[in-house]
Amino acid sequence: MKKDVTLKGYFGRFGGTFAPETLMPALNEVQHAFDAFMKDQKIQSEFKDLLEKYNGRETPLYFASRLTKKLGGAKIYLKREDLNHTGAHKITNALGQALLARYMGKKRLIAETGAGQHGVATATAAALLGMECDIYMGTVDMQRQRPNVFRMNLLGTRVVPVDSGGKTLKDAVNEAMRDWSKTVRTTHYAFGSALGPHPFPTIVREFQSIIGKETKMQILKVENRLPDTIVACVGGGSNAIGIFTPFLDDKDVKLVGVEAGGCGLDSNKHAVRLTHSDLSRTGILHGSFSYVLQDKNGQISDTQSISAGLDYSGVGPQHSFLHESGRVDYTYATDTEALDAFKMLCEYEGIIPALESSHAVAYAVKNAPLMPSGSIMVINLSGRGDKDIFTVADYLGINI
Amino acid sequence: MTNRYEITFDALKKRNEAAFIPFAVAGDPDPDKSEEIFRAYIDGGADILEIGYPFSDPIADGPVNQRASQRAIRNGMDHEKFFKLVKKLRSCSDIPVGILLYANTILHLGTDLFCRKAADAGIDSILVADMPPEESEVLQSSMEKYGIGRVFIVSELTPQDRIKYICSQVDSFVYVVSRLGATGTDLKFSDSISGTISRLKTVTDKPLAVGFGISSAEHVRKVTQCGADGVIVGSALVKNIELSYKNANFLDKLREQVFDYKTATRIR
Repeated sequence: MKKDVTLKGYFGRFGGTFAPETLMPALNEVQHAFDAFMKDQKIQSEFKDLLEKYNGRETPLYFASRLTKKLGGAKIYLKREDLNHTGAHKITNALGQALLARYMGKKRLIAETGAGQHGVATATAAALLGMECDIYMGTVDMQRQRPNVFRMNLLGTRVVPVDSGGKTLKDAVNEAMRDWSKTVRTTHYAFGSALGPHPFPTIVREFQSIIGKETKMQILKVENRLPDTIVACVGGGSNAIGIFTPFLDDKDVKLVGVEAGGCGLDSNKHAVRLTHSDLSRTGILHGSFSYVLQDKNGQISDTQSISAGLDYSGVGPQHSFLHESGRVDYTYATDTEALDAFKMLCEYEGIIPALESSHAVAYAVKNAPLMPSGSIMVINLSGRGDKDIFTVADYLGINI
Repeated sequence: MTNRYEITFDALKKRNEAAFIPFAVAGDPDPDKSEEIFRAYIDGGADILEIGYPFSDPIADGPVNQRASQRAIRNGMDHEKFFKLVKKLRSCSDIPVGILLYANTILHLGTDLFCRKAADAGIDSILVADMPPEESEVLQSSMEKYGIGRVFIVSELTPQDRIKYICSQVDSFVYVVSRLGATGTDLKFSDSISGTISRLKTVTDKPLAVGFGISSAEHVRKVTQCGADGVIVGSALVKNIELSYKNANFLDKLREQVFDYKTATRIR
């Protein structure tokens, strides 16, 4: 039998369109609309204008001199995605998808959120474009990210609590997909990460790759050469794929993805899907074939991480491909390492990073000292940490 | 290809009846009770069984079936117990048995091995809720190898050319969803189903079984009158399992519920 020519979306053997039939016409529609959207000069210039004037792009590439001095070794640059409007890289994709939704004539946006950053970003884009918006969020995440729940409410969005399974990101995606299969005529599901069925991993990558494009231009301007290492945290993997994509063909640039090590690999409480392939295996979750944490019977495992945004059992399919092809190195940082890095960035640079991004910083703390002075490491500082102060205070045993 | 389905649908057609197809999740609430539930379905007059394999993240299912999956997983349902359960049911009945599951379950065991075990257990058809025909080439060739029938879904949103494509991929029956969204129980019945059935009948003569949101005997009657060859009821039964499996007479009640649904398929 012949494959429908409209269905692509494979990265090597990963990806695909493993969706319920009720979503298939919608996925087809999104793909065609996205192709047209990317070629439509008028909408592209509106998008560019919003990114500049509303979002605050381009974001700075900042030389972290005190952190560099403290660690001794590679020069550390921070790609300041935390300075985006709403405090993380997520807004870039949310604006893109909201415009795409409007382009398709959809009046309502839905999305899943873990840390709440994508939820806030989608709520923001919905308010900006005058669209209705519902955000699905696990009740565990609602508790630990309550500032973001309130922000979404302020923006006129309804946050729908998800109380099934581990009550985190995975469960929120389940509910959002169910909603979408019912409301697909009027609603666009704005996936927040580079996962889900085709074409979402591609759409999110295309919108986020502006991070890498800017980084490349900026580093060439100040250093007149490409960095030796680029590091980003990987939950679903959108900020990482965003900064990696423009560098994939620059073989001398080492690309590193940092997963959530949670309480450590022995504890079984983590979200390490790629670093140690024996901990997970390939499978299908939320519409694509990728590495997935699962038990001996093929049931999807619950994960654990101090950062809600990395607390996910699957990973974007392109990351699985980049892992197997060897182009990107995947490693992990534990909760404790991420917190130490969090504190170090606060104290040495005056920047409170998101706990997600702190995982990437933790890699730098460990590895920058091992690199020769004069070498260059770029950390994708994907978000700011204001949302995390309650979690950090809890961990430090401080009542705020 | 799937003889049991052909025999069943042919016989029902002669009697001018639709097939009644009750659904439950294997292992819900536990492996032993689950077997008794399917036996009650058969005794109540089920023409075909639709057995769900429990999955932790069933995106095409509503809260009722998700909770059923969770109970089944918690109480130990796994591949081995699943095939054993089906085998036992097969040993006492000749009605067609279809299974409904999620792609990860098959991949986890290995596609070929899964199909071999399924055929060995007496399973007649497989429907994968999150695997459209385009993605199922490997699975379909294994199913063909072991003589297992293919079932795919069509909804009111499926364009006509896609309906043709899907029908060409199906051999046991076409699963027509009566409304959009996940499985569940509805008070209101979706009127769009008769249009979808008519559209299907212009392109295929394969049996059409309608499911999703069908709760009452009245719904079953309406779907039968719309020209469906089969009517699937899931959540409405699973909900009663959840509410009453601890009661002494719950199997009698389930049997009666199935009997009422079956009776409603006799009125054309």
